[in-house]
Amino acid sequence: MLRFVLREAGRTGLGLVGAVLLAAAISALAAPDAGSGAWHFLVAWGHALDGFAHLDFGHSAMTGVPAGEELERRLPLTLGLVLEGFAVALIVGIPVGFLFGAGPARRAAAPLVQVLSAAPIFCAGLALAFVAANLLHWPVPRGTGVASGLTLMPKDARELETLLLPVLTVGLSGAAAAQLALRRAGAESARQPWRTQLRRMGLGAWEIETVFGVPQIFAGLLSDLGEVMLALFSAAAVAEWVFNYAGAADLFVKSVALHDWAIVSPILLSFAGLTMIAGLIGRCAAYPLVATGAAP
Amino acid sequence: MTMATTASARGGVPSLHALLRIAGWIGLGLIAVAVSLSDFLATAPANATAIGPLLAPPSADFRFGTDILGRDMLSETLHALSATVRSALPATVVTLLVGALFGFVAARLPRSLALTLRSLVGILASLPALLLAVLVIGLTTRDWAAVAAGLSAAPFTFVRAFDRARIEERATHSEYARATGISASTLLRRDLVYEFSDTILSSAARALAAVTLILSTVSFLGFGAVPPHRDLGLMIAAAKPYFLQAWWTAAFPAAALTLLILFARLAAGLDEGERA
Amino acid sequence: MSEGRPIVEVQDLGVIHNGTTELEKISFRLEGGETLVLLGDAVSGKDALLRVLGGYAKRGDVCSGTIAFGDGVALPAAKRGKSDLRVVYLAAAADAPLHPHASVVSQLSRVIARRHGSPRASAREELRIALERFPAAPPFADLKKRPGELDAMALSWALLAAAIAQAPQLLIADHAFGDLTPRSIRAIVAALMAEQKRLGFALLYAARGLKAAAQFNSRVIVLRQGKVIEEGAFAKLASGQSHAYTRTLFKALPRPLDTPPGRNATRGEPLLQVQGLDLLGAKTKSGRGRDGITFELRRGASLALIGEEGSGRRALVRALLGLDNVASGRVVLDQVDMSILSAPMTSRLRRRIAFITGADDALDPRMTLWDTVDEPLRAHLRLSREMVAGHRETALKRVGLASYDGRRAVATLSPYDKRRLQVARAIVSSPFLAVIDEPLRGLDAFAQSILTELLEDFRRQEGPAFLIITADVGVAQALAEDAMFFKDRKVVERGPLRDILKNPKDEETRLLIEAARPVTD
Repeated sequence: MLRFVLREAGRTGLGLVGAVLLAAAISALAAPDAGSGAWHFLVAWGHALDGFAHLDFGHSAMTGVPAGEELERRLPLTLGLVLEGFAVALIVGIPVGFLFGAGPARRAAAPLVQVLSAAPIFCAGLALAFVAANLLHWPVPRGTGVASGLTLMPKDARELETLLLPVLTVGLSGAAAAQLALRRAGAESARQPWRTQLRRMGLGAWEIETVFGVPQIFAGLLSDLGEVMLALFSAAAVAEWVFNYAGAADLFVKSVALHDWAIVSPILLSFAGLTMIAGLIGRCAAYPLVATGAAP
Repeated sequence: MTMATTASARGGVPSLHALLRIAGWIGLGLIAVAVSLSDFLATAPANATAIGPLLAPPSADFRFGTDILGRDMLSETLHALSATVRSALPATVVTLLVGALFGFVAARLPRSLALTLRSLVGILASLPALLLAVLVIGLTTRDWAAVAAGLSAAPFTFVRAFDRARIEERATHSEYARATGISASTLLRRDLVYEFSDTILSSAARALAAVTLILSTVSFLGFGAVPPHRDLGLMIAAAKPYFLQAWWTAAFPAAALTLLILFARLAAGLDEGERA
Repeated sequence: MSEGRPIVEVQDLGVIHNGTTELEKISFRLEGGETLVLLGDAVSGKDALLRVLGGYAKRGDVCSGTIAFGDGVALPAAKRGKSDLRVVYLAAAADAPLHPHASVVSQLSRVIARRHGSPRASAREELRIALERFPAAPPFADLKKRPGELDAMALSWALLAAAIAQAPQLLIADHAFGDLTPRSIRAIVAALMAEQKRLGFALLYAARGLKAAAQFNSRVIVLRQGKVIEEGAFAKLASGQSHAYTRTLFKALPRPLDTPPGRNATRGEPLLQVQGLDLLGAKTKSGRGRDGITFELRRGASLALIGEEGSGRRALVRALLGLDNVASGRVVLDQVDMSILSAPMTSRLRRRIAFITGADDALDPRMTLWDTVDEPLRAHLRLSREMVAGHRETALKRVGLASYDGRRAVATLSPYDKRRLQVARAIVSSPFLAVIDEPLRGLDAFAQSILTELLEDFRRQEGPAFLIITADVGVAQALAEDAMFFKDRKVVERGPLRDILKNPKDEETRLLIEAARPVTD
C-alpha cells in the first residue's frame, strides 16, 4: 500500500508541477513584452514562476486588484458550490448507480442512462430553472450580468430556494459522472466469474453482493473521483453563468473573454490542482478495496 | 466488422446493443439529411426577423413558435443545427487525429518519450474540457472555436488511446510477435487496424458527441458562434432572458441538441459507463 | 461413515436448456466412498448434469428424470430443491472462483460458516484443521493472502481443504485439477482419495482431459453431445476395447513403458547450439561463472524440456531467443552467434521461429482468423494477395478451420480452435524451429489427441525442429525423441526419452515420469 501511495503521490506531484508551469505560462501572457519574442516570453515565464513561488499571481489587468485577493474572494464560493453539488451527486448518483449499475438492471438501463445523460448541463440547468419558476414558484436568479452575491449558507427559505438551483445543476452533473463510474465498475465486476463460483460453493446472493460486490463497485467510484471533480467543475462554470453566481468559474470565463490572464492562471491552477488531488485521494482510498496482490 | 463478427458468432441475431447502435446511425443519418436540406426544409432564411408575431407559441402556422424578434423557431432551429454540425465535424477530425491517432502512435515511441508525452497530456486531461476550450478560444479567436473544441476533447481521447495501446504493446502476444520477427511497424499497423480503423466509425461518433457538447456549451457562454450565424448553443443563450415565459424558444433547440448528442452516443456503442 | 450407503441415484436424467438438449437420459448410482468420473468436452452435457445435481440449475433449464439422494425417495429432477444431503462443490483454481480483492481465508471461512451455520471464527479453525491434514499444502498463514498472490497449486489445496471442512457426503469436483502439472495432480488426488476413504463421501469428478481422470482409477462415463457413449472402469476403457470415440479420447493417455518406436527424425546439421548458458547468474568462489547448460538441437529433431513450474525450462528458452539477458553463455542459431547480431539481423533470424502456447497468449485476440494466418506472410514476404490467400487456405484446411468465417475475431474462438489457429500460423511461417509450450493445456481429451496429430503432421510436412516445454512426460513422449529434465534451473538428466523412461537415474526425473502414469491399483 505504501509503495502504491508513494508512486501515485509522485505522479500527482509531477502533474502539479506541470500544472504550475502551464499556469505560469498563461500568466506570462499578461506581461507587457510577452509577445515580443520567445526570449521575452521565457523571461516573463520565469518571473511568473518566481511570483508563484511566493504566492504572488500578479494583478488584474481590468481592476488592478491582486489576483490572489480575487481568488480568495471567489474561489470559496465555487468550492462551496462544488462541495454541495458533490453531496447531491453522492445522494443521487450512488443509489442510482447501484440500482441501475449492477445486476440484470444494468444492461436494461443502459439506453435510459444514455438518454438522460445526453442533455448538456446548461440545458438541464435551464430546465430546472423553468420547473422551479413555473411549477414551484421559486425565485430564479437572473441578472443583467451583475453577480447576484449569493452566499453558500442560505439564511432563509427564500435564499435556500435560490441556492438550490445552481447546487442541483452541479449536483446532477456530478451524479451523472458518479453513476457512470459505478456502472463501469459494475460492468467490470459482472465480467468476473467469482459470483457464480461463490454461489455454487454455497454463499447466498445477498451476502456475495454486500460483502464482495458492493465494495468493488464503490471502489470504482473512488478510483474515478478525479473524473467526478472534472464534471463538477465544468458544471459549476455553467451553473455560475446561468444563475449569475459570483464564483471563481464565472470569473474564469469572464477573465478569458477580457484577456485578463493574471486572473485566469491561478483559477486554472486551482481547478487542475484540486482535480489531481481529488484523484489521488480517490485512488488511494480505493486501493485497499481493489488490490489483488498479484504481481503487476 | 466488430458487430458482424459478434453477430455471426452468436448465429446472426443482433442484440439490443447492436440495435441501439443501428438506431444511433439512423438518427445521425436523418440529422445529416436535415442539415444538408436545411435551406429547403426551413421556411425562412437564417436570422430572418419579423416572419411572424413576437414570442408566439407553437401553432399550425409556426410549429415551433416564434422568438422575441419574430423569427420562425423551426427554421432557426434547422439553421442552428446545421451550423452546429458544420462546426462539430472539423472538431471531430481534430479530436481523432490529435487524440486517438496520436495516442496510439505515442504509445509505441521509446518509453521515456512516450511516458513524458503521457504526463504532459495527462495534465491537460485533468482540466475540465469546457474550460480548456474556453482558454484556447481566449488565446486565439472565436473563429477557432471548432479547433478549440477538438483540442479540448483530445487529451481524454489521447490518454485512453495511449493507455490501451500500452496495454497491447506490453501484452504477451506482442512479445511473442516480436520474438518471431514481427516488426514494430507491423505491430503499430495491427493497432491502427484493430483499434483505430476497425472502430473509426464508433470513435468518430464518440468524438462527435464530446465536441458537440463542448461547442454548444462554449457558444452558450459566448465563446463560440458569432451572431448572426447562430448555432444551437447561442440560440439557447439568446433565449435565456425570456424562456421562462416562452419555453419554446429554448426547448426546441435544446431538444435538437440533445438528440444530436444522443444519436452520436448510441452510434458510438457507448456502454457501461463510457464517457463520450 | 457413509461408505457403501447409497448417496445419489439418477434415473433417466435429461436437461434441455432454452430448447437445446444438453443432456439426454443418463442413469447412474453412486455409493459412499465411490468415485465417478464424467469425461467429455465443453458441450458433452456433463456441465448440465453437475448443475442439476449441485442445485444451481440455470434459468431456462428443463429437467426430466428422477434423482434420489441418500435413502430418500426418487423425486423428479425438476423439483430438485434443497436436499438433506451435504452436496459440496469443489471449484477449479484456474476458474478464478474467489473474489480477487478479499483474502482466501476470509472467503473460504464464509463458505464453511454458511454450510455449518457456525460463527466465522470456528469455521476458520475448521479450515485450518482441514488444511493441516495435507502435508503438501501451503501453511495456513498463506491463506491470508489474496487469491492472485497464491499459485494454482496452493489455491487448489485451499479449495480442497474448504470442501473437506464442510464434511461432504457428495463432492462435486468441476474440473478441479485439470490445469495443474501431473505431479501436482497426483499429490492432490492422492490426498483427496485418502480423505474420501476417511469420510466416506461419494465423488463426482467432471474432467475434460485424462490427466486427472487417470489418477482416480475409477468408473468413467464418457459423454459426447449430451449422450452417454460408454461407461466402464478406467482401465478397461484405456485398454482399447472400447467405442471408437473413447479410443480416440484415450489416445492422449501416456504409456510410459510402451513407448512408440523412435521416429526417423532427420539428423541434419546443428540448428541450435548452446554453450555454457548460465541461468542462475551466480559466480563460484574462484570468481568464474558456474558451469552452464550446454546442448545441441539438430534440424528436424525434437527436444522436450521437462520440469515443474519454476524449474528453469522457460527461462532457458527465453535466454536462447534473447528475450532475457543471461550472465554468461553462447547461443548459436542457424550457424550464427546471436550475441554479435544487430537488432535488425536478429529480427530477420527470428522470422524462422514459431510459437505455439497452451495459454493461447501468442494470439492477438483482436485479430481475425485470416489476418492471424496472413500476417507472417505479409510481414516477411512480398507475396501477391492471391498467393497469400492460397497459403492461408491450405494451412486452415490442414488444421480444420477452413469452414470458419475468416473475419471472426480470435477472441470468439474456443481454446481448441485457438490452438489449431496457432498451428496454422506456424505452418505458413515455414519455421526451422517451433517452440511449443504446454500445447495440450486446457483441452479436452478428444481435442488433445487431434492436436497431437496436427503437431506430428506439421513436423512431418514442414520439418521444423521442435523445442517442447512441458511438465507432462506424456506430452513429451508424444512429440519428442530427446529430453532434458530440469530442477531448480539446472539440468538433472538428459538423453533419448525412450532410454530415460525405461531407466531414469535422477529422483526428480523418476517423480515426473511416475506422475504421468495412470494409477492402476
